[in-house]
Amino acid sequence: MSQRYILVNPEVCIGCKQCELVCSYEHEGVYSSALSRIRLVRFEAECLNVPVTCAYCEEPACEKVCPTGAMTVDPATGAARVIEAKCIGCKECIAACPIGAVDMNSRTGVAMRCDLCKGSPACVDICPTGALTFGFVNQTSRDKRRSRVLTLLFDEPEGRRA
Amino acid sequence: MRSLAGDILFIDLTERRVWREAVKKDDILNYLGGRGINSRYLWHLADAGIDPLGPDNPLIFGTGLLTGTAAPSSGRTTVTCKSPATNWYLKTSGGGHFGGEMKAAGYGHIIVLGIASEPVYIWIDDDKVEIRDAKAFWGMDVRQVDGAIKAQLGDDEVQLATIGPAGENKVLFASVMFSVYNAAGRGGAGAVMGSKNLKAIAVRGSGAVAAAKPVLYHELAMEAHQSVLADSGAEGMHLYGTAGSLNGVNEVRALASYNFQRSHLDDVHTITGQYLSEAGYLKRAVACYGCVVGCHRYSKIDQGPLAGTFTGGPEYENFVALGSGCGTLDTEAIIKANELCNILGMDTISAGSVIQWGMESYEKGVINRNDLDGEELLWGDGQAIIDMLSKIAYREGFGDVLAGGVKRAAEKVGGDSYKWAVHAKGLEQSRVDTRSAKAYALAFAVNPRGADHLHTETFAEFGMSPEARELIERITGDEKYVTPYSSEKRAEIVRWHEDTYAVTDALGFCAFMTTAMYGITPKMMADLFSAAAGHDFSEEEIMLAGRRILTLEKSFNVREGALREHDTLPWRLMNEVNPDRPEPDAINSQEELDKMLDEYYQLHDWNRETSRPTRKTLELLNLSYVADELEEAGKLDPAG
Repeated sequence: MSQRYILVNPEVCIGCKQCELVCSYEHEGVYSSALSRIRLVRFEAECLNVPVTCAYCEEPACEKVCPTGAMTVDPATGAARVIEAKCIGCKECIAACPIGAVDMNSRTGVAMRCDLCKGSPACVDICPTGALTFGFVNQTSRDKRRSRVLTLLFDEPEGRRA
Repeated sequence: MRSLAGDILFIDLTERRVWREAVKKDDILNYLGGRGINSRYLWHLADAGIDPLGPDNPLIFGTGLLTGTAAPSSGRTTVTCKSPATNWYLKTSGGGHFGGEMKAAGYGHIIVLGIASEPVYIWIDDDKVEIRDAKAFWGMDVRQVDGAIKAQLGDDEVQLATIGPAGENKVLFASVMFSVYNAAGRGGAGAVMGSKNLKAIAVRGSGAVAAAKPVLYHELAMEAHQSVLADSGAEGMHLYGTAGSLNGVNEVRALASYNFQRSHLDDVHTITGQYLSEAGYLKRAVACYGCVVGCHRYSKIDQGPLAGTFTGGPEYENFVALGSGCGTLDTEAIIKANELCNILGMDTISAGSVIQWGMESYEKGVINRNDLDGEELLWGDGQAIIDMLSKIAYREGFGDVLAGGVKRAAEKVGGDSYKWAVHAKGLEQSRVDTRSAKAYALAFAVNPRGADHLHTETFAEFGMSPEARELIERITGDEKYVTPYSSEKRAEIVRWHEDTYAVTDALGFCAFMTTAMYGITPKMMADLFSAAAGHDFSEEEIMLAGRRILTLEKSFNVREGALREHDTLPWRLMNEVNPDRPEPDAINSQEELDKMLDEYYQLHDWNRETSRPTRKTLELLNLSYVADELEEAGKLDPAG
């Protein structure tokens, strides 16, 4: 598991939407939630905020269903890439993605999916609370193990790092 | 792509007609956006003497010019109209996510005119705008109607501005609620919305905005992020919210308790943001659109008789207005009261204020059990507070008297009760004891909307952070003026905050970032504006725009008949010494207020006898059309 991913900790997300704003700026040069590759899911009555973006599945359904080979991963960097010239806008990828992380770009009519900003995701950089991190999966599970054990043993607030 | 300023959407509910106009470039340069352009339209659309609850009062929503961009904490929405509580000018601002959605739909402003013949809501789906039947939603509380309209539209992510039962029943301090728990609370804009039979505005926006100089703008926005987070107060605001400062305000003898009969209590820990967190009521810190601090709270009661209560808040003002002001430090009762104010759609400051006025009136025998429908209204009785909030929203029994606010309630029950009706211009005072905070005293007296801190937040005078102390020194030239007890240099302090606050509101920023913390400076706002609008503004020029906005708002009141005598403070604070700070200066005496007013009017170059802006001042601010109209109405003084 040497690949780094955007890891989401909804416990500390405050729902500011800056991730959406900088994502659309980075990719489209404008501010627009609708053009963002990461989307904030909000439940307003409960003030619950969860950012959702491409999970980089080991077996990506979006790539599997893509009829033209437009939905790909760059083997050199591991970053997702939509080859715009090949995408016919059939929306199969959107139907197939089980977490809703693929969307249509209303400006170009092709699919859009998180490309990790060439290795330095803007959404992670801007995230004010650390709800988004760019790291290795085994790191996340290690931190979770330590944090939970600490909470159980010493009654420390959850999420505190040892 | 949408224009950054957005269009102005007009909706005439009487004629059932909808049209849109572009924002004029000239208006952007003079009034910036948000609150500024709102007040420009209010001046033109609302003739002097109109009934605030009649068809002629426009209800104007405005996002900030920068709302919808990545500038931090720039997502606020201002609601502007003539206030039914004060009969003067009203702007009231709210957070949440409504403004960002409105901008993405292509609108900087929404101007609602007329009155619908039966309950309606407005559905704005990008370019498509409909006036829809809302009979099925009438009577619902804010949380219910938010869910019900989202269900009807089949989209849980639309943003709503709504009113609850309090707005429907024209409670004079009913709020407009955004994103369920974010209130544009002060001054009764919710009652104006109710008078129009308008239950909600729902908006969905899928557009994009960009600055005139996008690369420069984005760089400046990213610098602003760093600056906001570097402020010494930012972490505390995130962790503990506005109520994190409550202990400090108590220490300087400015915590308004027992209806301003006390300004300091021995132990207020259970109503602090720190306690909310450590006792486990705080479930989440929450941000408004674009905000990287997240001072808003989400609280829930898990156990006990009030288990299942959940709400946005409580914040500082909620804890004090609904808690210590009513003589209770019961955290759970306050959370419940806060939830009720939010879902019934009422301003917490005024709601708490009328209840504590009622408690004191009952204690002093001005009202009795017969007036209170056979019940008692005792200090510190949490259940009584909770019960009374519903009675106010539905105008039941004595709640109907309280629904008019403390000024009208005191006029109704008579006796000495006006002495503890803590309001100015008819607006219940924010929960700061101005006898221990003299810049606040001046600010509250001159505020066009009444005794309130959200036109001019002079928190800096308390000197609670290095940034605050530095600011006061910069404004006054001497750090000795960092004290809330001195009346010296308060006019200068107030005017800097007025200008800054007006720019803050016009651009969509949160005032906590500019006038309570100081991460966003007027210079940064000038630079962001310049890159956004493609028109270079210096710090001086943008501050002048702020003054233009404030002066136009003042002029609205002048057109309605305002004079110097209206710039005053509550009777109690002017006539009773602060009992918890028994110093000779612990009072807002007429003499002291007069001295500060003289300095303030002089600084503005307004007429000192009448408080009215002069033609010279108005013309310097490009407001000659205001001078002309005031002159025609006989409300322009011959000379400064």
